[in-house]
Amino acid sequence: MVPTSYYVFLSAFIFAIGLYGVLTRENAVVILMCVELMLNAGNLNLIAFAAHHGEAAGIAGQTFVLFVLAIAAAEVAVGLGVLVLVYRRYGTVNIRKPSYMRW
Amino acid sequence: MVDELATLVPLAPEFAVIGAALLILVIDTFSREKHGAVALVVAFTGVAVAFVATLFHLAEGTDALLFHDTIVVDGFALFFNAAVLIATVLVLVSSTEYIEKFCPERRENLTEFAVLVLFAASGMLLMASSRSLVTAFIALELAALPSYALVAFAKDDKAGIEGAMKYFLLGALTSAVFLYGISLVYGATGAFDFVGIADALTGADGDVFGLAGLGVLLILVGLGFKIAAFPFHVWAPDAYTGAPTPVAAFLSSASKIAGFVLLFRLFTVAFPTQLDWLLAIQILAVATMTYGNFAAAVQSSVKRMLAYSSIGHAGYVLIALAVFTGADADSAFALGAGMSHLFIYALMNTGAFLVVALVDDYWGVGYTFEDYAGIARQAPVIGVAMAVFMFSLAGLPTGAGFLSKLAVFAGAVNSGFWWLAVLGGINSALSLYYYTRVLKWMWVEEPEGATPELEGKPVGIYAAILVAAVGTVVLLFAFDPVLSTATEAAESLLGV
Repeated sequence: MVPTSYYVFLSAFIFAIGLYGVLTRENAVVILMCVELMLNAGNLNLIAFAAHHGEAAGIAGQTFVLFVLAIAAAEVAVGLGVLVLVYRRYGTVNIRKPSYMRW
Repeated sequence: MVDELATLVPLAPEFAVIGAALLILVIDTFSREKHGAVALVVAFTGVAVAFVATLFHLAEGTDALLFHDTIVVDGFALFFNAAVLIATVLVLVSSTEYIEKFCPERRENLTEFAVLVLFAASGMLLMASSRSLVTAFIALELAALPSYALVAFAKDDKAGIEGAMKYFLLGALTSAVFLYGISLVYGATGAFDFVGIADALTGADGDVFGLAGLGVLLILVGLGFKIAAFPFHVWAPDAYTGAPTPVAAFLSSASKIAGFVLLFRLFTVAFPTQLDWLLAIQILAVATMTYGNFAAAVQSSVKRMLAYSSIGHAGYVLIALAVFTGADADSAFALGAGMSHLFIYALMNTGAFLVVALVDDYWGVGYTFEDYAGIARQAPVIGVAMAVFMFSLAGLPTGAGFLSKLAVFAGAVNSGFWWLAVLGGINSALSLYYYTRVLKWMWVEEPEGATPELEGKPVGIYAAILVAAVGTVVLLFAFDPVLSTATEAAESLLGV
């Protein structure tokens, strides 16, 4: 059996990739994809820990992952809607272009 | 069957709000024309019913666990429910006229506006009642997703879209961080419910503690975003400035309050202080209030100044949690003081934003301090209301903000953290500068050139502003019931 820690390291790695992408990319859709990567890193963690904790405590973790999947889908739906508006108004989804407000 | 339904009675406020939202959707589906007015009446009724139900349960002293102990309805949750519902109703009342004037092309979509506000409000109510990280995450997203859409509601407005994009991208990022934190805490403890986490962590050893500690830090990032605490506040000024002003009022009051209730319950119940989160909250509190006040002082736009002032207020309220020393009477008092400040803040901050909605957008005089010149002499009622809000936010005894802020600082001193109270006091004094600046322009200064024409007296916006102003003043004299209700709720939460 693969030790739980392997999964946790893998998920930490995926999380780090996602975070790196969010911080460096300029295309809002790519950033959204990176955020999804981070969410899935969390999911992977939950599944791995669920298996680690065994049946009674584990079932909660597995169920939570299903909720997270649904929420992530809803989030993308709203987010892409916002990005469509951005594209219509600014002609691009580069996050540096809309700079109407400066502080 | 009937018995099982009866167990759901404590959730009546949530059901009323969600039911109203669904009813509006059904009406909208089956009617040929758009009935914005009907939608708002239904929404208003739903929120009013929810408010009455909340007060009823609060008076009854309801304390119930539902859905396998993942939802709890206690005094703590109900107190915050009341604050969230007040902010919601003020926003709903003022939004019709605002949208008709500010974005007439969206007049047809008033129903959607009402539905989005109600769904966001239901998410906030559920955040107050969450007793498990699962429900907390779902409720948080339920509150957040409609908020993104609300900020972008005026869909041809450049600033609104930009604000919505920043809000959404940062919100999605922090919710992913929040989820990762949850997964680490779950890994360390094998539990999602707050009490289970606390049980697993007491008497845990080093490795488990490290994992849980990292998780707690990430969860703090997620909630810090929600309450707009420095350095997770970067979205707030842009989202508030870009959003339709009633939406900005809603986000800076109700959404922030909901973030705080989750923060309070989660950290006091689930995470033992041995995890050293206290230091993180103290740093957060000092950084947030100092940054918010200094940034507010240099703004040229009134709305943006209010955005930063709301960041500053998040810092004051964080003090209430930063002085937590365990389940004792002092901590309960400090927590209760923070809760009362949030309650008063819901009135005065929403009111202040609505004054901006009226002057800036409805009358269209402009957004800078200079544009407000002479407004108070033309509309004395609004001038007086703004004076009440500003002085109350600053902490002068013209409104209940004075007493609630005093209680927060007294709580800090009681718990032995006098230095936090001193820093808070200094910040309050600083904040007087930019709050009085608005009033100086409104009351004293003469406008350059022609006096701006103030066309129309929108009944809804006026009513909402007056309710907020009168509430702020009345609570100055009736502050004790608020504080004692909050303190009792905090005591029962901590089990003092």
